[in-house]
Amino acid sequence: MIRIKDLTKTYGRRAALDGLTLTLGVGVTGLLGPNGAGKTTLLRCLATTLAPDGGRIDAYGLDPSHPVQRTALRRRLGYLPQDPGFYPHFTAFDLVDYVAVLKELTDARQRHAEVRRVLAEVGLTDRAGTKVRRLSGGMRQRLALAQALLGDPDLLILDEPTVGLDPEQRMSFRALVSRLGESRTVVLSTHQTEDVAALCERVVVLRQGGVVFDGTPGALAAVAEGRVWLSDAAPEVSTLFWRTADGRYRTLGEPPPAANPAAPGVEDGYLMLLGEAA
Amino acid sequence: MTWHVSDDLREGYLGGGLDPALAMSVETHLARCAACRAAVPYEPEWLEESWRRLEARLVAPRPGPAERLLARCGVPAHLARLLMATPTLSRAWLAAVGAALAFAVLAARVDPAFVPAFLVAAPVLPPAGIALAYGPRVDPAYELLAATPLAGARLLLTRAAAVLSTAVVLAGAASPLLPAPPWLCAAWLLPSLAVTLACLALSRLVRVPLAALAVTGLWLAVAGAAGFAGDWVSAFAPAAQIGYAAAAAVLLLRLRAARTRGETDTG
Repeated sequence: MIRIKDLTKTYGRRAALDGLTLTLGVGVTGLLGPNGAGKTTLLRCLATTLAPDGGRIDAYGLDPSHPVQRTALRRRLGYLPQDPGFYPHFTAFDLVDYVAVLKELTDARQRHAEVRRVLAEVGLTDRAGTKVRRLSGGMRQRLALAQALLGDPDLLILDEPTVGLDPEQRMSFRALVSRLGESRTVVLSTHQTEDVAALCERVVVLRQGGVVFDGTPGALAAVAEGRVWLSDAAPEVSTLFWRTADGRYRTLGEPPPAANPAAPGVEDGYLMLLGEAA
Repeated sequence: MTWHVSDDLREGYLGGGLDPALAMSVETHLARCAACRAAVPYEPEWLEESWRRLEARLVAPRPGPAERLLARCGVPAHLARLLMATPTLSRAWLAAVGAALAFAVLAARVDPAFVPAFLVAAPVLPPAGIALAYGPRVDPAYELLAATPLAGARLLLTRAAAVLSTAVVLAGAASPLLPAPPWLCAAWLLPSLAVTLACLALSRLVRVPLAALAVTGLWLAVAGAAGFAGDWVSAFAPAAQIGYAAAAAVLLLRLRAARTRGETDTG
């Protein structure tokens, strides 16, 4: 269990986290929110790569502000940063092997077996000997995910993990994360409401460093219940509408003339919750 | 394909009684002919294990020359692997350090008045290398590695040791060429050690580049003060060397104590 209480982090005058309180358990939790809502800052604090200004984190009874406990926590987590950098002259195998050494897997035979396992998990076995600079963006993202899986961590922190993945890879990723979330805590941030609807049993919406929604994807969709409309003509007053693939207009809020009610989705609930800020 | 493996041939192959050329011919055929291959009995577990070993051989990393050299010098394989990503062990950095030292030696040989330049510059190399060895601005994979147990001070110490060793080897190779007495040629060694340890100790409080800048400034101030006093050799005299050794010992003890306490992060 991970307990986050009154977490604050300020950059200059801007509060990235403003007294955020949250509890995370086993399962997949998705973080949604507009740019600057505090998603990455929260994940970096959880991953122990950023120290908060105030508040506290208790992860499995470990306090990351304490040096020894921080190292103990790092042994139990896997982290995929938002913008992972690489050593371009390393091969895919070398890079994951390098991270495995930093994760204290010193026995070469065991370490190499673990590296092969995680590369197979993300479908990169046949690219193990390819230099990182020759991998596509999607492959690099899968490589970054592979290193996060090393050591079978209890806590998996994924910051925008589906960026750069094609639809097929995204499906594979969802299957993998769903399976991992059965027995450990997975927390991921995303701008893709489809990812949240497809694989998260819990969604937390952040805005201006605080939690504005915490519930199931179904509950988030229900925020827009009775507020979603389909019409042939564009609405004249609502600002939240868009033209769909079949040429009709999907409107959130007050119904335009001659509109039919539509079933709300996670994206509708999210947009209703945040309004134009989203 | 004009022939298939006959029963006699297969029995001979499985019994290991064929001569090598014929056995190789049978294996080549088996690789291409599924029907003959199906007639060869095998143990699934054995086959799976063989594939696993083959895969392990094929995709295992092949250490480069530098990594193999470190292993031959007794450095554990995983540690050698860690050092391979140190930005300041790149060819460009080594070439820059080599060129700087070569220029300093050349200048001293043309005019012995430049000998102090070498002695003052040599201790600056390790902190400069450390500043460029680890941190968010110099390590492209910094964020990827920052959440691992060995990240922070432990990784910095490992890379700093490699940077110091490299700088000492290069400066040590260049210093006998100085037109100066042997003791003076080696007088940069203890200041280098003290400055490096001071940089590492200070990096627990401030960011590594700032720590490197601060200790470099302090060293230049010490050496410069001696120069302005008209006796630059005094910065390298026995009394000063005792001071550097004492400072290095104290800093080393403090770093060991911090490591024992498990302080893993740099400033």
